[in-house]
Amino acid sequence: MAIETATLNAVQRAPGVWRQSWYRFRRNRAGMLGLGLVTLVVVVALIAPFVAPFEPTDQSAMLRGAARRPPDAIHWLGTDRNGYDVFSRLLYGARTALLVGLGAMTIASLIGVIIGGIAGYAGGMTDELLMRFAEFFMVIPVFIVILAVVRLFGIVVVGTWMEDIPNLNLLTIIVLLGCFEWPPIARMARAEFLRLRNAEFVEAAVCIGTPRRDILVRHILPNALPSLIVLVALGIGGAILAETMVSFLGFGDPKAVSWGQSLYFNYEALKVAPWAVLAPGGALFCTVLGFNLLADGLTDAFNPRLRQ
Amino acid sequence: MPSTLVCASDAPAMNTADPLLEVRDLKVHFFTRDGVVRAVDGVDYSVNRAETLGIVGESGSGKTVSSLAMLRLVPPPARTMGGQVLFEGEDLLAHTPKQMAALRGRRIAMIFQNPATSLNPIYSVGAQLSEILMWHEKASRRQAEERVVELLGLVGISDPGARLRQFPHELSGGMKQRVGIARALMCNPSLVLADEPTTALDVTIQAQILELLADLQARFRMSMVLVTHDMGVVARMATRITVMYAGRVCETADAGTIFSAPQHPYTRALLDSMPRIDQSYSGSARKTLPTIAGRPPNLLNPPPGCRFHDRCPEAMPECRKMMPVETTIAPGHSVSCLRRGSTGVAA
Repeated sequence: MAIETATLNAVQRAPGVWRQSWYRFRRNRAGMLGLGLVTLVVVVALIAPFVAPFEPTDQSAMLRGAARRPPDAIHWLGTDRNGYDVFSRLLYGARTALLVGLGAMTIASLIGVIIGGIAGYAGGMTDELLMRFAEFFMVIPVFIVILAVVRLFGIVVVGTWMEDIPNLNLLTIIVLLGCFEWPPIARMARAEFLRLRNAEFVEAAVCIGTPRRDILVRHILPNALPSLIVLVALGIGGAILAETMVSFLGFGDPKAVSWGQSLYFNYEALKVAPWAVLAPGGALFCTVLGFNLLADGLTDAFNPRLRQ
Repeated sequence: MPSTLVCASDAPAMNTADPLLEVRDLKVHFFTRDGVVRAVDGVDYSVNRAETLGIVGESGSGKTVSSLAMLRLVPPPARTMGGQVLFEGEDLLAHTPKQMAALRGRRIAMIFQNPATSLNPIYSVGAQLSEILMWHEKASRRQAEERVVELLGLVGISDPGARLRQFPHELSGGMKQRVGIARALMCNPSLVLADEPTTALDVTIQAQILELLADLQARFRMSMVLVTHDMGVVARMATRITVMYAGRVCETADAGTIFSAPQHPYTRALLDSMPRIDQSYSGSARKTLPTIAGRPPNLLNPPPGCRFHDRCPEAMPECRKMMPVETTIAPGHSVSCLRRGSTGVAA
């Protein structure tokens, strides 16, 4: 008897879904590289105000006639043609990038999961209508919509209370990205809800009288998360890239310190001060690559059968 | 045909029947693209207090669908088209969804076929089971967990306190089914529906689980509906047996009678086609295992008259024209067969 209890207590706990996925993920080199890059960006964003040698809005170098200086001991990555310290703006840019990525994908996830979840769970006519609605959003060219809205909005708000909202342009871009990037998430959510709706444990939950809200939120949603997380990780990279493109075209938020803005300000001086463009370009590349590799690694970790 | 099977009850049928559940003329139809499939087409049975009703039949005979219909859980495209499900005097088919939700798990509980898929993989055993009490009895988490530990012990899980924090994937198949049983018993239901509770388990575990179910049923004096296609399981567990074929009831009798004196030709054919350990089916004896010729009918377009007539060895011309009506031929024994004295209605 004593021995039995002892062995029982020593029963090795088998790893759960998340832990198993983590084991698989850790073996995936590309995925780990992605995780490393993403972690780096997050850390940079968090510590930017403490380590940046200059304020991101500090143009004093220009007054000193030190604009477009190549990297040196004071300006580690040189200065750009506006006299900004490239390195400081690079660090602060990480905050904007993450804000855009996370903000847009939070909005997109909320809309996507709600619409896709309802479609998948309800099925029938509701499903048809919601999915056609999602497809309608997929065919609208987001980019043009953003450019148009940003410009129109910029005119409309002049003289109203909305003018006082800080970074209104950036917020508009985030919201618009969120409002247009949800269809892939909705589709995945629908597929997962459809699959899980018929899972036996869901039926069992119904059989014990679980209210429908809890069936959806506590039983179906958590089991759908692995697939959704992959899409969200991929979407963050996409949203950052989209914001950069908008900014690069000059439709960005002039008050925000973003990599796209730096590219926009400096691309004409590419030959004179290449560092001012290469630095934010490189940072953008690393960030987006990081999120894409992370998403790839997560796919492999959550759905090992997909990898052949 | 004397049966060598040991029956759970060889006692004569109790005529002082005290029905807990009565299913009357239940109809469940599937509305498919090809037409209406009459999966359950006028089924009657009743379950008395503290007895086990075994529902047997082959795949597609409507046994699972009829038990889901009791809980009002038939999945679309199926719809319950008519009949009554009287549970403790209330017609469940007339209940509101809210009343049904309050009843499921509390007064009628269900044990599922596959324990591997009927537990949510992301919640610990304790979280999953205590949830029920928190719904139905507004128990606090602490109270609920105490009850879970008690029940886990009751269903034969060793060290229940530690199991509480374990996840379904950390348990073996038999253990998971014990958890499934504990889940069904959380609120002391008066009726438990067990849909093939042992089909997904290996044979040695099957025996243990059946023993546990029989034991718990006797201890709590609850009623049980045991849906299965395994004659061995019903022989061991059921007080009374209902045999279903193609969405209709063929025969209902107490377990002893079904095995010792089956009346309906389908019941007889079913029993004859069970392999027997005291007979050899190969070698010099050259005796093959009898089977029922033909296939179950397509319920999209069921045969007229008796559903079994085209496979029935005793069919007569009337069987094609008349639908037999369930008729009591002895106390507690009813049959739907024109050759056994059932009246028929023109199909």
